[in-house]
Amino acid sequence: MKLKNGALSTMFFMPAALFMGVFLVYPILLLLKDSFFQIDLMNPAAREFVGLANYIDSLTSDRFLKALGNTVVYIIVAVGAEFIIGLILALLLSNAFKGSQIIRTVLLSPLMLAPLVSGLIWKFMLNDQFGIINWVLYKIGIISDPHQILWLSDSRFALISTIIADIWLTTPFIMLVLLAGIQGISKSLYESADIDGANKWHKFRYITVPSIIPVASVALLIRIIDAARTFDIVWVLTQGGPGFSSELLSTYMYKTLTRYGQVGQSSAMAVIFIIILLVLSSFFISKIWSPRKKNA
Amino acid sequence: MNDLPLRKTELSKRIPVNAAKLKRKLWLIFVIVLTCLLALLFLGPYVYLLLTSLKPSAEAVSTPPTLWPSTFSFENYRNMFDYLPVGKYFINSLVTAGASTIISVLVGALAAYGISRFTSVTGNYFLLFTLVIRMVPMISIAIPMYMIIKDMGLLDTQLALILVYTSVNVPFAIWLMIGFLDSVPKEFDEAARIDGCSWLGAFIRVILPVSLPGLATTAIFTFMLAWNDFLFSLLMTSTQAKTATVGISEFLTAYNLDLGPMTAAAVSFSLPVMIFSLFVQRYIVSGMTLGAVKE
Repeated sequence: MKLKNGALSTMFFMPAALFMGVFLVYPILLLLKDSFFQIDLMNPAAREFVGLANYIDSLTSDRFLKALGNTVVYIIVAVGAEFIIGLILALLLSNAFKGSQIIRTVLLSPLMLAPLVSGLIWKFMLNDQFGIINWVLYKIGIISDPHQILWLSDSRFALISTIIADIWLTTPFIMLVLLAGIQGISKSLYESADIDGANKWHKFRYITVPSIIPVASVALLIRIIDAARTFDIVWVLTQGGPGFSSELLSTYMYKTLTRYGQVGQSSAMAVIFIIILLVLSSFFISKIWSPRKKNA
Repeated sequence: MNDLPLRKTELSKRIPVNAAKLKRKLWLIFVIVLTCLLALLFLGPYVYLLLTSLKPSAEAVSTPPTLWPSTFSFENYRNMFDYLPVGKYFINSLVTAGASTIISVLVGALAAYGISRFTSVTGNYFLLFTLVIRMVPMISIAIPMYMIIKDMGLLDTQLALILVYTSVNVPFAIWLMIGFLDSVPKEFDEAARIDGCSWLGAFIRVILPVSLPGLATTAIFTFMLAWNDFLFSLLMTSTQAKTATVGISEFLTAYNLDLGPMTAAAVSFSLPVMIFSLFVQRYIVSGMTLGAVKE
């Protein structure tokens, strides 16, 4: 019976396995293999085994380390801000008031927006010539000249500009997940806390926070992985520039492949990237993920 | 004069109640104002894009920038077709996203059914494996995927994008569908089996129809992933199969000073989706939270 079940279930996931095998597993193996070779995209036949040279080159190159550092900053700042704003929004919206449902619905729609479009909107608004952001800052007196801040072409601001676009685009996601977590908390917990005379802060600290930790960790994990591989927003806004000031691992890998045609080098960087992310997510998962319980 | 002391006591008796009520009311007003403010902040940029697209072309890039169009004009919407073959890009997006959605939902549902209904070691390993696969950043697989597609001679074809989107979406579809299928009672397909259906027949005739909400949720998400993709299209297409995201991004490089048509293209690309998402938000919420809580 066990054998038959195994065979049957295999039959059902065979098509999926086939797709994943050809376009996900095989590419990963290919990636691993390519990372040990010196390959020129213009002349792919002339491949040369170079061992760990690509890895050593990457890990000792200033540009790679800069991109890695930028990616870490990007993740920490973007996901941190998204989480704080998302939590505030979720807490606000968990108070049912007239219209809260409508606001929730409205905040959901950007979730379906392409990161590319988010990049375009902010490229438009952050423009130093006709962008509205500088004009608003000028009008309320924060800057003295409406063309003062070169958001996208000043190396001090480029990275933060891309982060702003990211925060705008994905905070609603965190809000939604946290809101779902908050609404899942049993009302009776708050009622008994009321009887005990707990104030708002106590209720938040001792009921809300512990109850949403699992959901919050999952939301954080998903966002960290997504932020780590951000490409669209940065590509549209700055293409990693000026200089390398907003270069992320993703844009650097893309350039290494398409601009410089170095397949081996970009493969090695991709492998390093995958390893970092897998370590990071397995840490999170071991903390929060309990194996799926089968209700037989 | 005489009844003043009495009033005072009455008042002092009432104060605690009123104060508490007032405090709660003020708190609620504070909450509402803050919520509206934040919501406005999040809606603002998109509304600004929408308004800009409706300005006369020159006004879109005027200094100082205007908020409200001086006159509402569809000039940008007419012009965008002159600059780039926007229509073709949209059709490419629709075809690749649509086809990959249909395939990945079916393949994903089939796999999820197999894992959900039959306890097997391989099934569980496969599930774990799909989870690990989802952790791998697509940007890094994009490199070898590009090489494979190139070797297959499929660069710049719709088929290439359909294959890639489907593969990326299948693990996701499996995870979403398992959540739904686990909640469909086993008695359903057992009854169908007793009535003489094969397992596949039970799946098609009984399980698929009752898990329509799950299929819808999965379809919405897989479609969005493909529709919004920029990286794979940028990497694997050049002229024939280019999708709308890459097409729109070209407005920036090619016509740097005339961004009006770009805003029109961006709105045409995203507004239908935004409106659609308002109608299907029930599915979006269940999909996001289920996907989130699951992983």
